[in-house]
Amino acid sequence: MDSISTSSSSACPLTTPQWNLDRPFLTGHFHQETKSSSQVAASKGFSTDSFSPGNEKAIGSYHASVQELIVIDDLLSALIGIEGRYISIKRVRSKDDNFAFQVDASMDLALQESAKRLFPLCESYLLINQFVESRSQFKTGLVNHAFAAALRALLLVVFMQSLFEVNPVAKDCTDARSCFALLHVEDYQAMVAQLEHQFRLGKLSIQGLWFYCQPMMGSMQALSVVIRKASANNFVGSAILNLLQSQAKAMAGDHTVRSLLEKMTQSASSAYLGILERWVYEGVIDDPYGELFIAENKSLPKESLSQDYDAKYWRQRYSLKDDIPSFLENAAGIILTTGKYLNVMRECGHNVQVPVSENSKLMSFGANHQYLECIKAAYEFASGELLTLVKEKYDLMGKLRSIKHYLLLDQGDFLVHFMDIARDELSKKPDEISVEKLQSLLDLALRSTAAAADPCHEDLTCYVERSTLMKSLSMLKDLEVNRSVFDGSDLEEPVSITGLETFSLSYKVQWPLSLVISRKALTKYQLIFRFLFHCKHVDRQLCGAWQVHQAVRALNTQGTAISRSSLLCRSMLKFISSLLHYLTFEVLEPNWHVMHNRLKTAKSIDEVIQYHDFFLEKCLRECLLLLPELLKKVERLKSICLQYAAATQWLVSSSIDITKIDTSSDGALGMEKLKQLKLRKPSQALKVDAENASVTDSILKFEREFNSEIQSLRPILSSGSRAEPYLTHLAQWILSVGRDQ
Amino acid sequence: MPREIITLQVGQCGNQIGMEFWKQLCLEHGISKDGILEDFATQGGDRKDVFFYQADDQHYIPRALLIDLEPRVINGIQNSEYRNLYNHENVFLSDHGGGAGNNWASGYHQGKGVEEDIMDMIDREADGSDSLEGFVLCHSIAGGTGSGMGSYLLEALNDRYSKKLVQTYSVFPNQMETSDVVVQPYNSLLTLKRLTLNADCVVVLDNTALNRIAVERLHLSNPSFAQTNSLVSTVMSASTTTLRYPGYMNNDLVGLLASLIPTPRCHFLMTGYTPLTVERQANAIRKTTVLDVMRRLLQTKNIMVSSYARTKEASQAKYISILNIIQGDVDPTQVHESLQRIRERKLVNFIDWGPASIQVALSRKSPYVQTAHRVSGLMLASHTSIRHLFSKCLSQYEKLRKKQAFLDNYRKFPMFADNDLSEFDESRDIIESLVDEYKACESPDYIKWGMEDPDHNLTGEGSGSGTVDPALAM
Repeated sequence: MDSISTSSSSACPLTTPQWNLDRPFLTGHFHQETKSSSQVAASKGFSTDSFSPGNEKAIGSYHASVQELIVIDDLLSALIGIEGRYISIKRVRSKDDNFAFQVDASMDLALQESAKRLFPLCESYLLINQFVESRSQFKTGLVNHAFAAALRALLLVVFMQSLFEVNPVAKDCTDARSCFALLHVEDYQAMVAQLEHQFRLGKLSIQGLWFYCQPMMGSMQALSVVIRKASANNFVGSAILNLLQSQAKAMAGDHTVRSLLEKMTQSASSAYLGILERWVYEGVIDDPYGELFIAENKSLPKESLSQDYDAKYWRQRYSLKDDIPSFLENAAGIILTTGKYLNVMRECGHNVQVPVSENSKLMSFGANHQYLECIKAAYEFASGELLTLVKEKYDLMGKLRSIKHYLLLDQGDFLVHFMDIARDELSKKPDEISVEKLQSLLDLALRSTAAAADPCHEDLTCYVERSTLMKSLSMLKDLEVNRSVFDGSDLEEPVSITGLETFSLSYKVQWPLSLVISRKALTKYQLIFRFLFHCKHVDRQLCGAWQVHQAVRALNTQGTAISRSSLLCRSMLKFISSLLHYLTFEVLEPNWHVMHNRLKTAKSIDEVIQYHDFFLEKCLRECLLLLPELLKKVERLKSICLQYAAATQWLVSSSIDITKIDTSSDGALGMEKLKQLKLRKPSQALKVDAENASVTDSILKFEREFNSEIQSLRPILSSGSRAEPYLTHLAQWILSVGRDQ
Repeated sequence: MPREIITLQVGQCGNQIGMEFWKQLCLEHGISKDGILEDFATQGGDRKDVFFYQADDQHYIPRALLIDLEPRVINGIQNSEYRNLYNHENVFLSDHGGGAGNNWASGYHQGKGVEEDIMDMIDREADGSDSLEGFVLCHSIAGGTGSGMGSYLLEALNDRYSKKLVQTYSVFPNQMETSDVVVQPYNSLLTLKRLTLNADCVVVLDNTALNRIAVERLHLSNPSFAQTNSLVSTVMSASTTTLRYPGYMNNDLVGLLASLIPTPRCHFLMTGYTPLTVERQANAIRKTTVLDVMRRLLQTKNIMVSSYARTKEASQAKYISILNIIQGDVDPTQVHESLQRIRERKLVNFIDWGPASIQVALSRKSPYVQTAHRVSGLMLASHTSIRHLFSKCLSQYEKLRKKQAFLDNYRKFPMFADNDLSEFDESRDIIESLVDEYKACESPDYIKWGMEDPDHNLTGEGSGSGTVDPALAM
């Protein structure tokens, strides 16, 4: 069947040589093939009434009783697809494989009618036989093979024995006819042989033939319907199973046919279930014909998880195809994940097989749904096993905690030290920074702080981005950032970005933890880290400014620019620490807590991934990183704070000349000198009082700028808080700031 | 070993509370009495190096200097079971061992005399640290050594280590009972001046309030020094938890203090702690949720500073800043709700002139110290009512000074020689301006405080030296 060869060649890489297909004698078709061609020739020469060329005599010339014998003989041949002397078989070349049976017109009319009644059975046989032959070719796939084999068995003698076992009546049955009647229900060729035997014994009339064949007709008819559909659409694999099942359901009223079709389904699916079993129990795709509904995409390596932001490994390495057998439709997702989980464990070098017990064999998919139970059991085993593996052997929670320590600054003391020692390096331009140097400083900071106790701290690496946080956020297309604000004009990079804006940490995550902590997840962690890091930097600078003010407490600064400045400093400190407070105690920590509890109860790795992704998404959103409008304001405020902090030393020292104190106290000059300096101070300070005007001005300028920016946050926060309730929390933290003015 | 902190324990009281502090730290970090890390404490994830360093034999040694002018307390420490904990090179006892006789001037003067020795010790400790963050001074302000020598050390530290932070834990005298130290008001006033000018942060430990807490809250009829000291050590160790058990924020002293201290001079912090227990006395276990803890911290009866204010004045008093350090097993999702509740109930009266809110630091609890309560909390707060404490000191001083009582003891020392009592006057002015500033903080237009009269500029401080002024008062 040429049409089959083209259809399955796409799914199956194997091909047979053309000569194999061309050999007509491998199948029984030649009977019809040769006839049909000769028939064409014959029909030209002879009258349409004449049949086989070798007919010496028209059947009408015999006596009716002789005619009956001849017809029975011919019919018995026709039943197994061989032309008789007066019954011809024509193959109609049309879209469907149709056969036309013709009876010599001179036959007794009554006999003709009787004979014609048997023709559908003959036709069914031919069709089935042809189907069996064609589908036994290796490229048609295991399901077709199994189906064809079952059909062939039906046509030959296989089910007989089982029948005898099943039916106790048959055992003590002596009557040939009753035995006979049982027989032909199941098995076609044996029936024909029995009939022939009866015929030879002279016991078979044409009515008897009709009587015996009748029970078989329904079944054969139903099978031929199936087969017609199957071959018309060139069904392979699960499509055959679906077809068989739906036919069996459609035939629900006819018990015999239905059970036959169900038996067929079962036989046909056994090979399929074998494939499924290997997938579900071992995670192996043993599917040379591509019949299983699970596809593996080998071009997605697992390493991509830890490198590629858009890694599709987990979602697309294994995927469902379209042709899912209807009886597995509901379980398809579970089947896919079961195998995926088993695969993950195999990739970890952890060979796991679902323990196979007696009743866990996937026998059939009958109405008792035993197969679903098995699949469910396998799924539970696989997910449980994988989860334990990931949680215990690979210590997922430990890793997450460690990431939290470093990337979410849960244990921020290392950062204090790191910022101390890497200050110079970080204030360079991003492309001048030596990442190696930063890395060694980071290692030093980690070794000498609380992080040293964490075995995972060595997985932490430095990373210097090329762009600001805002830019990085706008480049990540899949984040649900409100894009309208990110239009080009606002996004030009500040001229002087330093390592402080672009520094980031990274974390080495190994398979299989990269399933959970994928590149994408890590990127989100990094975004949060960069934001926190910069806030911390601002906080540090302001603390520095605070210390500058502390240094002048010996002077009575009441009413001077310094006291004004120290209050501004306090406002700024309050702002940044409120922001940090909000980020850590209102966003990160509670969300982490929720996720942590959820992870403890998670039942599968997919749930773990889902909870973790949800956590990150939520944090990202609540950390304002997805709200560019707000983020821009916050960045602006931070930059005002930084400018102020940078100017503090100058502001304070030019309003009061304390630089000399600093230099003297750096050296070990002792008290005496200091006191002399202090003595001189009041007069000096009064002298520079005139200068103070400009200093006061600039302090007031900072104050105005800062306050107006803070105030401008208010409408944004209050309008946004309807859609994003967490903004109220932020507003409570930050905007208590502005309540006085 | 970054951000180390060196502790100076000066005087009898300073050494007593210091000793309690180190006991508590050892317990919390699983360090034995000999300084050896206990086996169960090797996997801590805590920061011991802020307050300890490791000797060559892995012993943990406190970064502490034990300084006194009389040997009693320090000898007691050296004969206690903790004798091997401390570095013996860090103990300073005066040669004569005669103490300072409860005289500030004597302590100050003696401090000047031994400056070199002590500075050597401090330098040695400072050199032994990678990036010294600052100093912590434990002392009382009433006696002679802690107040006088402590004051001298504060000035010296400010001079030598001007970039480093100086925090003090200063014990204020019990004003309810008549003290055996009659010159206590003089000593307090003179020390307060240094605390105002030379310290970055003063944690006020008011003995009056500590006694009250011991009597009222802990039901001790006659609390001993050891018992009040254990309250002090609890506060001291709790206030350093964020440094020792790092969290999201406040991992360095400067970060901790900067958010609390509004202006350079208003750096006096009061504390509150809950649930309060003293050693070996297990209180009935109470419900301890975050809200409960925070609410209790705001109750005046739990606050370790007594305010002598009358009700009208007390209602004017306002919080400038609050940091609640909450230790233990806390559900972080409760924090927001608790703060919200406190805000709704208006339990806190904050200043009007600037941003203010309760800050929270969640911190781990030491796994080695078993407590009956799940959550404990420490409040560090800057509150304007603290000015009443200073006012009280001032008024007591005025009373004594008016009578010109006991001044002779002071005139024996160079600072007050030739009847130069300007140091007293100057100190008084500074404390008064401090009180004024706190008072101004209560008004909404504090920002403009003093702006309108520029002549007021730079009046305080000036001749803090030993310059000679022959003016005689008597």
